[in-house]
Amino acid sequence: MARSANHHSPHASMDGRNTTDPVVARAIDLYKHYGSEDNEVVALNHINVEFMRGQLTAIMGPSGSGKSTLMHCMAGLDVPTSGTVLVEGLEVSSMNQRELTKLRRKEIGFIFQSFNLVPTLTAKENILLPLQIAKRPVDMDWFNKVVDVVGLANRLDHRPSQLSGGQQQRVACARAMMEQPSVIFADEPTGNLDSRSSREVLTFLQQSVREYGQSIVMVTHDPRAASFADRVLVLADGSITNDMDHPTYDEILEVFADHHDETVAEELAVGPNGADGAALAEYAEVQDAARRAARTAGSANAEGEARA
Amino acid sequence: MIRIGLRDAKVHFRRFIMSIIAIALGVAFVVGSFCFRAMLNDQVSQMMATNSDADVYIRGDVVKKDHKEGTKVGHADYEDINVDLMDDVRKIDGVKNVSDTHSLSNIVLVGADGNAVTTVGPPTLAVALEKGSWRGATLTDGHWPEADDEIVLHSGAAEQSKLKVGDTTKIVFPDGPRDMKVVGTISTPNSQLGAIIVGLKPSLVTHYRELAGEPIDQTSGFEVYGDLNTPLDAKAQQELADRINAELPKSDHLVAITGDSVRDEETQSTQDQLGFIQPLIMIFAIIALFVGSFIIANTFTMIVRESMRGYALLRSIGASPAQVFLTVIVEAIVLGIVGSVLGVLLGWGMLELIGKGMGQMGMPLTGSPAPSWSDVLVGIIVGIVVTIIGASLPARTAAIAPPIQAMNETVNPEKPVRRRGWIGFVMVVFGCLLWVLAYVLSDGGDKPTPWSAINNWSPEWLLGIGAGLLVIGVIVLGPALVGPAGKVLGWIPDHVFPVTGRLATRNIARAKRRTANTAAALFVGIAIVSCLGVVASSVKTSVHDIVDDGLNADFVLMSASMTNPIPTKALDEIKQNDEVKSLAPITMLLGVSINGGDTMPFASDYSLVESIYPVGNAKVQALKDGEAMVGDLVADENGWKVGDTLKFKAENVVVDEEATAKAQADYQAGIEAQAGKLQAEAQQLAATGDAAGAQSKIEEAHKAIEDAQNVDPAKLVKTKKEVVTKDIRIGAIADDSLFNDEVMINETLADELVPENMRMVNQAYVQAKPGVDLKRLQNDLKKTVKPYYTVGVLNRDEFKSSLSSMVDQVMAILYALLALSIIIAIFGIVNTLALNVSERTKEIGLLRAIGTSRAQIRGMLGIESVIMSVFGTILGIIVGVGAGVVVRAVFSDNGLTKLSIPWDQIVGFLVVSIFVGLLASVFPANRALKKPVLDAVSSE
Repeated sequence: MARSANHHSPHASMDGRNTTDPVVARAIDLYKHYGSEDNEVVALNHINVEFMRGQLTAIMGPSGSGKSTLMHCMAGLDVPTSGTVLVEGLEVSSMNQRELTKLRRKEIGFIFQSFNLVPTLTAKENILLPLQIAKRPVDMDWFNKVVDVVGLANRLDHRPSQLSGGQQQRVACARAMMEQPSVIFADEPTGNLDSRSSREVLTFLQQSVREYGQSIVMVTHDPRAASFADRVLVLADGSITNDMDHPTYDEILEVFADHHDETVAEELAVGPNGADGAALAEYAEVQDAARRAARTAGSANAEGEARA
Repeated sequence: MIRIGLRDAKVHFRRFIMSIIAIALGVAFVVGSFCFRAMLNDQVSQMMATNSDADVYIRGDVVKKDHKEGTKVGHADYEDINVDLMDDVRKIDGVKNVSDTHSLSNIVLVGADGNAVTTVGPPTLAVALEKGSWRGATLTDGHWPEADDEIVLHSGAAEQSKLKVGDTTKIVFPDGPRDMKVVGTISTPNSQLGAIIVGLKPSLVTHYRELAGEPIDQTSGFEVYGDLNTPLDAKAQQELADRINAELPKSDHLVAITGDSVRDEETQSTQDQLGFIQPLIMIFAIIALFVGSFIIANTFTMIVRESMRGYALLRSIGASPAQVFLTVIVEAIVLGIVGSVLGVLLGWGMLELIGKGMGQMGMPLTGSPAPSWSDVLVGIIVGIVVTIIGASLPARTAAIAPPIQAMNETVNPEKPVRRRGWIGFVMVVFGCLLWVLAYVLSDGGDKPTPWSAINNWSPEWLLGIGAGLLVIGVIVLGPALVGPAGKVLGWIPDHVFPVTGRLATRNIARAKRRTANTAAALFVGIAIVSCLGVVASSVKTSVHDIVDDGLNADFVLMSASMTNPIPTKALDEIKQNDEVKSLAPITMLLGVSINGGDTMPFASDYSLVESIYPVGNAKVQALKDGEAMVGDLVADENGWKVGDTLKFKAENVVVDEEATAKAQADYQAGIEAQAGKLQAEAQQLAATGDAAGAQSKIEEAHKAIEDAQNVDPAKLVKTKKEVVTKDIRIGAIADDSLFNDEVMINETLADELVPENMRMVNQAYVQAKPGVDLKRLQNDLKKTVKPYYTVGVLNRDEFKSSLSSMVDQVMAILYALLALSIIIAIFGIVNTLALNVSERTKEIGLLRAIGTSRAQIRGMLGIESVIMSVFGTILGIIVGVGAGVVVRAVFSDNGLTKLSIPWDQIVGFLVVSIFVGLLASVFPANRALKKPVLDAVSSE
């Protein structure tokens, strides 16, 4: 625990990193509330959790369950009301801006739901950006390997606006991988993608865990995405209600059915009730169609108004 | 909807601060220029009311022969009238006082510390004063001058000279200093703009007018007071004028007009002369308003972007686009009103400060700079209109965006700038062509182009139109230049700071129009100043070159005031100094015209052309042969050639001995006759035994004789105009820069043409003997001229800097204006960066999340900002210097012989622009960094 982060080189992680501590990040008695006293919302209710090295951990839960807040606190993007966050033994929750910047450069990688890339830079420049910002040398072998894995070798000189959503997200993954951080935090990485792109991204994440020993923590509300994970944590009302090891898609769905969770149930109700894996594509398509329909209706509405 | 707009305005008020400052500055310039005019006008009319305060003016009714036909006939354009007619006017009912006030402007007052009282520009005037001759002046202490050696001082003059009643001082007259006693002080209700006013006994003024060759039996007019204490109103003035006109005999050729009409005319013409200042200030007002309008546009773009969801909500619950538009415009109007009102106050305040500042500099102003209601209204309307223009585009975006798109907050990509770029490019090319043409036409000799039609075009017009095309063209072309300029200017930061530099360089090209508009403010300001910088520098170099290239004089003697000559005695004393090799006075021949034109010739010692400024033997020989040496500029202007004969005509006013003797004899006879008559009466009375009566008659007779002895002899002097003409052949044309706009003859010819009193030396060159210690000699010469108070001894360097001191003063004013345009430009850059930062909230959040430090974010924004300001500055320098080069060529005949580009200044501008950029990035960077990373990445 007292091991200093400065000692391990970027390459250490490739051969399984410093495995003396199997926990890469942990939260101790993490508590977070928003609002004033008479209008208090508890986002995290004294959570204790450990994220394991070399695992893909998914955090699930309905809106407002605190899953994003948990991840933000773990990543040093948000400050908990009380409790401690440790990443590689470093106390994130008490860091100042300078230390946080250092942490982000060395220990943490990010993949966001949208807007992951700097629009003025090409795919390659985006991937190399974190290293250049930190003025660290670029390992071109590693770069080629990462690019090869995400399958973007022929899109490297394109700007983000010339890439599809899935391609953009894969660039973001490659960027996160390039740093070889202790842990990558992914916030709904497939939230804006169709099912095919989702699968590509998730497969890549899985692969980087299995083949390169990368630790990843991913927030999602999509049971299908969660089924790619080694471990699934389910949050409700700021507490961890389930901790599943390598669950199947069905097992995950079951958990939500057990909890009679309305939000997830509603979301699932949009798609067909079929619970087999093939349904995911259809479900996503229907969701997209619904989104498109809403958009058309909206603009039709606007045109109608303009005419009036 | 209006209520929503008002509430939004309240919420967004902090955001508006920058826009309000921008609008306030713009309006302040507009109102300030009005206020400045108002202040000067008020000052001028106050001075007119005090200084030309007669109730009725009487002048001749014959228009001067040399008055240009077709131009307006002013009060001063009539022939002089005979002074003796004053007696006729005095007898008319209602006339309380008649005078013909004259003043001398060629005197210098010596202050209590023994030094000449100098001013930065206002004149020193000696006014003929006696009790009742100047109603506007009140005697505050002592008495009016009763003897020739008594003076009264105006309060301003007393303050400047530190002299008190009872002090003895000197006044330097054209013939040298005279001891004078201060016997009183006077004050006027308003300030005299720093003029030094001294009151002299009228007979002394007449004496010096006579010395200067003025016809003292003639005057331009009489001033009539109908009341000795209070001014008459308009009606009473008219009545008095009518009565005078009715009673004066036609044969007198006199016309009486009301004081008001004269004052109005003079006020108008003075104000017209000062009118040029306003357009200059207006240029900067336009820059400020231009910047203001796009600062507003930027601010509203930010606000609209952030409130899109609110507008979408309004739209989705049934608000029409017009209603949404209105909510934004209402905000703009609130903003415009606040900014304009502040601007009016700011402009007014600035002028009050300027007034105070001028008082400190010895030019007290009593004119009020308060703007009139119409000026205030214009200022406020301009402010509001500019605000609405700035806000209307973002408001339109808010109004017509479909609700769903608004909810999704998509940023529309910028329209391509290519078409606009081509239009700008064509304008720039045309502008450049016109400039090249202007340059060629004014620099290319007789036949600059093969087409005679083009050769007749005026270079000045080409220059002006070209400048207009170029400035507008560059602004239009600007957005298209942003991309390439970003790459070129970004090269250094790109290599020094690989990551932040590259990000910044690419960011510059993202909103090309916005970047270009921001840079435009600096562009215009820098262009104006660097153009004038080149011109000023060329003027300086051209003048210095005259001194450096040809002038061998070691010292230059100059008079403290242009109108006060260097006394001949002083020149004689300097000539006697053993170490002085030669002394060449430049003698102006007053009242001499050549071929009826207004060129005034001068004469000088041969040493001037032989050794002090050698022009070559041929020209010297021509002068020695009694021929004229004519400057090539004068020759070109008049079409004169070597061998032509010029008619020199000197109109000398001389005392008419015969007439004066006759007048004196007549007067004597008159007095004797009166005395004789009185004596006869006395004898008669004595014969009738009335001894007391006889005694009084005799006393009366004695008194009449005594009075006659005391009478001002000047009153009896009659002058006449004596015309001397001489045909002088042009012996040489001189292209030497010292002489190229002069006509010179030798001193012998000058003696034949004009008497001593019609010559004036206001400059003289001194050459020392070889091997003399110049420093010591300068001190010696200074000691020699000390008793004359007004003569300065300048060495070469001092002479050069005295020649360019005017230019330096003008440049100082321009730098002040530049400072203002830089301040405005900083606001523009700050605002644009703030908008960029607000648009890129997520991107900056992302950069922070992947490990970009705060310093790196600051660096990135700093580089963006510097590129923007350097971009504007470089455009400004290119266009400005180009303009300067062409202006120099076009006006090369007006003394701009040498082109000089002030590189140090230009480098200075670039350095300043880098600092400006860095400074401007501080606030937007603070704002970008204040936002927590989480908010930035998770805001949707």
